[in-house]
Amino acid sequence: MNGQNKRARRRTLAGPAALLDRVLVLASPYNSSLLLLIVFLVVVVVGLFVIRDLHTTNVEAQKMYAGSVLGLHRIGELQYQAQETRRSTFYALTTNDSNLQLEYADQSREADRRVNEGISEYLRQARMPREIEVGKGLQRDWSDYLGVRNEVLASILEGSTKEAVNLDLQGGVPSFERVRQDLEEIKRLYDVQASEQLANVAATSRRTVFRLIGVLGITLALASASVWAIQRSKMLGAIQLAKLQMEFVASVSHELRTPLTVISSAADNIADGLVGGKDQLKRYGSAIQNQCRQITELVNQILLFASTKDRKNRYTLRPLQVSQIIDSVLDNTAELVEGAGFAIEQRIESGLPSVMGDLSALSQCLQNLIVNAVKYSGESRWIGISAFVENSEERSGKEIRITVQDRGIGIDRLEMPHVFEPFYRGAAVSAAQIHGTGLGLSLAKSIAEAMGGTLSVASELAVGSVFTLRLPIAEKQELQMASVNSEPDPSIRK
Amino acid sequence: MRRRAGLQFILASAVFSIAALCFGSAPNSSSLPKPQIASEQNLAVVVNLSNPVQNLSMPELRRIFLGERSHWPNGRRITLVMMETGQPERDVVLRDICQMNETDFNNHFLHGVFTGEVFVSPKTLATPVGVRKFVFNVPGAIGYLRVSDLDSTVKALRIDERGPEDKGYRLHVPPRSSK
Repeated sequence: MNGQNKRARRRTLAGPAALLDRVLVLASPYNSSLLLLIVFLVVVVVGLFVIRDLHTTNVEAQKMYAGSVLGLHRIGELQYQAQETRRSTFYALTTNDSNLQLEYADQSREADRRVNEGISEYLRQARMPREIEVGKGLQRDWSDYLGVRNEVLASILEGSTKEAVNLDLQGGVPSFERVRQDLEEIKRLYDVQASEQLANVAATSRRTVFRLIGVLGITLALASASVWAIQRSKMLGAIQLAKLQMEFVASVSHELRTPLTVISSAADNIADGLVGGKDQLKRYGSAIQNQCRQITELVNQILLFASTKDRKNRYTLRPLQVSQIIDSVLDNTAELVEGAGFAIEQRIESGLPSVMGDLSALSQCLQNLIVNAVKYSGESRWIGISAFVENSEERSGKEIRITVQDRGIGIDRLEMPHVFEPFYRGAAVSAAQIHGTGLGLSLAKSIAEAMGGTLSVASELAVGSVFTLRLPIAEKQELQMASVNSEPDPSIRK
Repeated sequence: MRRRAGLQFILASAVFSIAALCFGSAPNSSSLPKPQIASEQNLAVVVNLSNPVQNLSMPELRRIFLGERSHWPNGRRITLVMMETGQPERDVVLRDICQMNETDFNNHFLHGVFTGEVFVSPKTLATPVGVRKFVFNVPGAIGYLRVSDLDSTVKALRIDERGPEDKGYRLHVPPRSSK
């Protein structure tokens, strides 16, 4: 019971890590790009936030400048012009020359015109009720003052200096004081606004700093995670490859040992003189011959795979009749198929066009498929081979499709993406101790692709599998060139 | 103090009389309107826009220009605006309204101020623009301008029910010299 609990706990602990490993393995071909893309997207998104914040800060600063700094400047100008209005009026008191007095009166009126403009501008820009209220108050008080100022000016121009002074003391001073207070109030409002906007700028700036720190943190974390995931995925890939290679070595060793054992035993029996008679010797010779052929085939497969991977293989492409390819395959596998008691059902469409390919390579490709069908057919002893023309799904026009079908054990849905990987062998296959190197399908796919075609599989467990080889139809130009050159043209070598 | 003021008046009168003898005085103008010469312009009598008065008779105008009337009907003190000596506009006013020459006019005011018969002393301005601005600034001001110098800042009075643009208007001023 205790042991069961421990095992259960271990399973629970191992669960997420195993799941992560599984995800990493599945995503391994794309993980580095994917993670870098995620990092890039996150950085872009957060970067956009930062840019937005910076823009907001900039706007706030501009608003502060336009609203407060320029506002204060305007109020300063208003104060100056208001003083100028009053000052010019007083200058008129300093002379008896009516012409000069008129000049001062003009200066005073010019200054009061500027004050009126300033007040109108302030009211145009005022948004808050308090601003509007104070602005209107200023307008009213300034108008009151101007009324007094006009009387004072009139008195000065009339020559009634004393009356002018009295008028100013009684009406001008208090009304101008009200104007001054209004201007001070506006200044105070600008100060308050400036403080608020400064606080906004500071807050936005702080937020930007936090976001920048966040961006750096997230970027660092994601970059670290990416590096870790990439390393981990590479490590897992390497482990898997090593495991596959170990399995391959074991499998090849096993494949080699069986015929070698037969050869060795036969040789021992012959050497020990246990084999007597011509017939028996002939049987032993035949057995040794078969086993040697098996070993040769195995070694050839391995060499072919290696050359495919090194891209050292060269194929001679020439127009081939589909029936010619299938006949070659059936000849090569006749012994195996008949020996295993299989029946091959052929459905070859008549009048199929030629394909461009290497006969030997294509035979090897289809041969591997038939050998697999024999291996994994289980109790069923049936293989179907068909060839027909179909519209191509990947390129315009038509293509030749050659299918090899069996009614065998089928392939698990989860294993389907891996069946064409080199050295890959399904769990059920390994468990059933069906011998193989895991190179056959990988090799077949490589050959198909080298011929400009594809190899795909559709399968269902306990129902069977259908492997489809798609080959492009030879074009007229290729056929003409092939007919002109009796020898294979080096330019169409791949 | 009184004796001193009296002495000053006698001295001033003597100076003005000598000056009048030296430079010669214009004969008293006739009260009849002169026929207008083709190139002449009318001379408008102007007041502040706030002044309710629209029309004055020539005798009333004379009283005002001689400082014998101190206030307008709205209670505003009358301020008389004259142009500088030698200006044709001033000559027209002296001749056609005040019916005096320069010396008589000056003597009149000098005498009137001392005796208290004159309530205002005229303000002297150099240019028509100055006159216009003065009248605009001072609610009780009255002055004169050529019709061509008028604008919306001042109001031209009708004299004996005739405006400056009307036929039979009595105040005409010779054209400005080109210099």
